[in-house]
Amino acid sequence: MRTLALALALILPLHAHAQNHGPILTSTVETHVLPGFAVLSQATEALTQAAQTDCSPGSARLQAAYHTAFDSWISVSHLRFGPTEVQDRAFSLAFWPDTKGFTPKALSGLIASEDASVETPAEFAETSVAGRGFFALEQMLFDPKFTDQGAAPYRCALIQAIATDIDNNAHAIDADWAIYAITLTRPGESGPYRSEDEAMQELYRALTTGLEFTGDTRLGRPMGTFDRPRPNRAEARRSDRSLRHVELSLIALRDLAAHLSADYPGIAADLDAAFAKAIASAQSLDDPALAGVATPQGRFRVEALQQSINDIRAIASAELGPTLGINAGFNSLDGD
Amino acid sequence: MTRLFAATSVLALGIASAAIAADSPSKADVLSTYSNIAEANYDDSLIAAKSLQAAVNALITDPSDATLNAARAAWIAARVPYQQTEVYRFGNAIVDDWEGKVNAWPLDEGLIDYVDSSYSGPTDENEFAALNVIANPSFELSGETIDAAEITPELLGETLHEADGIEANVATGYHAIEFLLWGQDLNGHGTGAGNRPWSDYAQGDACTGGNCDRRAQYLSAATDLLVSDLEWMAAQWAEGGAARVALTADEAAGVSAILTGMGSLSYGETAGERMRLGLMLNDPEEEHSCFADNTHNDHYYNGVGVQNVYLGTYTRIDGTPVDGASLSDLVIASDPSLDAEMKVKLANTMQALGVMKSTAEAGFAYDQMLERGNEGGELLIMGGVNGFIDQTKTIERIVTTLQLDQIDFEGSDSLDNPDAVFQ
Repeated sequence: MRTLALALALILPLHAHAQNHGPILTSTVETHVLPGFAVLSQATEALTQAAQTDCSPGSARLQAAYHTAFDSWISVSHLRFGPTEVQDRAFSLAFWPDTKGFTPKALSGLIASEDASVETPAEFAETSVAGRGFFALEQMLFDPKFTDQGAAPYRCALIQAIATDIDNNAHAIDADWAIYAITLTRPGESGPYRSEDEAMQELYRALTTGLEFTGDTRLGRPMGTFDRPRPNRAEARRSDRSLRHVELSLIALRDLAAHLSADYPGIAADLDAAFAKAIASAQSLDDPALAGVATPQGRFRVEALQQSINDIRAIASAELGPTLGINAGFNSLDGD
Repeated sequence: MTRLFAATSVLALGIASAAIAADSPSKADVLSTYSNIAEANYDDSLIAAKSLQAAVNALITDPSDATLNAARAAWIAARVPYQQTEVYRFGNAIVDDWEGKVNAWPLDEGLIDYVDSSYSGPTDENEFAALNVIANPSFELSGETIDAAEITPELLGETLHEADGIEANVATGYHAIEFLLWGQDLNGHGTGAGNRPWSDYAQGDACTGGNCDRRAQYLSAATDLLVSDLEWMAAQWAEGGAARVALTADEAAGVSAILTGMGSLSYGETAGERMRLGLMLNDPEEEHSCFADNTHNDHYYNGVGVQNVYLGTYTRIDGTPVDGASLSDLVIASDPSLDAEMKVKLANTMQALGVMKSTAEAGFAYDQMLERGNEGGELLIMGGVNGFIDQTKTIERIVTTLQLDQIDFEGSDSLDNPDAVFQ
């Protein structure tokens, strides 16, 4: 038996003894998480005001507010735990990938029946997540299929209802984080995190899952296979935001990685260099909707970007996780 | 400094383990029980699929209300053992690579047979969503002309399944058979499942829905394929089978695979993809068995499967028990209170799933629970979701406690390349 215990001990990562993660937890929450959600709720407030002022899909102010608010969401969209998961808020803000065309189906259904839920935020919040959030708004503003479907006054009310719902969810997340921040930075038996290790595991999982989603889903879905690329599966392609989401998510994840690796300058430098390379690769792509995946040349460049993200993932799982003494655990992308 | 700490923790571990070492099983024994359960569970799935095959043959030979209902009952019974095997899927690459043949979901059923006019037809995602192979003995697929004059297991498995690289083109497995036995459920959030008439299999003038001969051919081919696929998987878990050998090649990775299967099935797959998503979309067809309205059982038996592999016990469909050294025993040896926590959480999940199941059996079907604004339905489903999510947290704690570092599921790197995990 003693032999087994020794064998177990031998495969412990070098730093697997208890580490003091307190300062990192605090700095990550105070300078990465909380400001991100505060910026989001300010941007969604501007979005709902813009929609109230002018709900026409072509409105420059509305489109600008949509882009700014969507940017702010993408910059925090890797923080999928706690307040974002209450009442399906994150799914309500961004239902994607939409593998079975639920969003157009939900929007057409609302428009065809002139569903009265658009008049009451609480009732609208009960409707399908596919007809709410940034991706529903994108189709209402940028997809010609919806610019003349049904009656104009109803379309206007729907756009305003979506904007208000986005704003309500963003504010609810921001408000809940005030309390949740304490849960995460001062873990204990009664909360969701029993120890600093468990709280760190949540943040580390946000990093690894965020990288996985950007590499495998944001890039992987439109890439499809060499013989069968799927440019129509690119995220938010109707408003030319696909590549932007890759870049914004990498910038946000780079900041998170810097926080998590702060005690280990060597690993921090490795991660930062790998992020710099991936971000530069994204910035040089000049292919906003990732439509280039349909050509061999374009695909080659997107593949290189994806590889650079895989390189970051390798550093995180081989160096950062074991050094911090934590593993990534399970994430929502497990499964098929 | 670091080394000093490491040395201290070795000592601490040694003392802690020595105190309660007597009952701790070897990893090899735990893996053996896990493999024995898999073998029995896939064998049961095979036995039940053969009963289904016999019932399908009776339906085709002598179509009637009675033979159709008997085939449906055999399908429902066949799901009981199969859903319990799903816990083997995510930890074992050999299962994950194979399972799409037998349990792929969701499907664009218009690929297979006639559908209602409300069905959306070809979509942006899938241009073959309304192909209807039963009505079309020849068609174009990715630039090639396909001869489907005879519907064979090979045509379904090698050409039609996942045609054009689209996962929703499900041509084989339980859910394709389910569609052929029940047909589309056109009741929305209302009462009732799919209502395909038996005469869809009547030959000659009594035939409804057209092409009854080809429909029978399809059903027969799909059922034969299910049986042969399950035969193959049951063999992989027998003594010397590839799945068993792969699992035991590295014992720590093997134990990690058990936990990976438990966590991935609980969280990402069942709680997320199968339960919460349907609820968020309020879509009556976004349920695992949408034609038969058997979804409550699908989730329930997934939960049973997770519990089986933790406790190291399984009850075969003929009542024979299979048990032995368990993961639970292994956890007790390291941290008895963590084992107690796991058992309570598994029991809580089963309790919640049990309420959902019994309510569905009392007449409140799963697709009715999914309806927008239906608070009772939402509570029933979220009870199961929350149970699965909560038990996943404890599964993670067990991974940490057993020092099975770097659990990785999905790609099953831990199995393909154990060195990468324990470097």
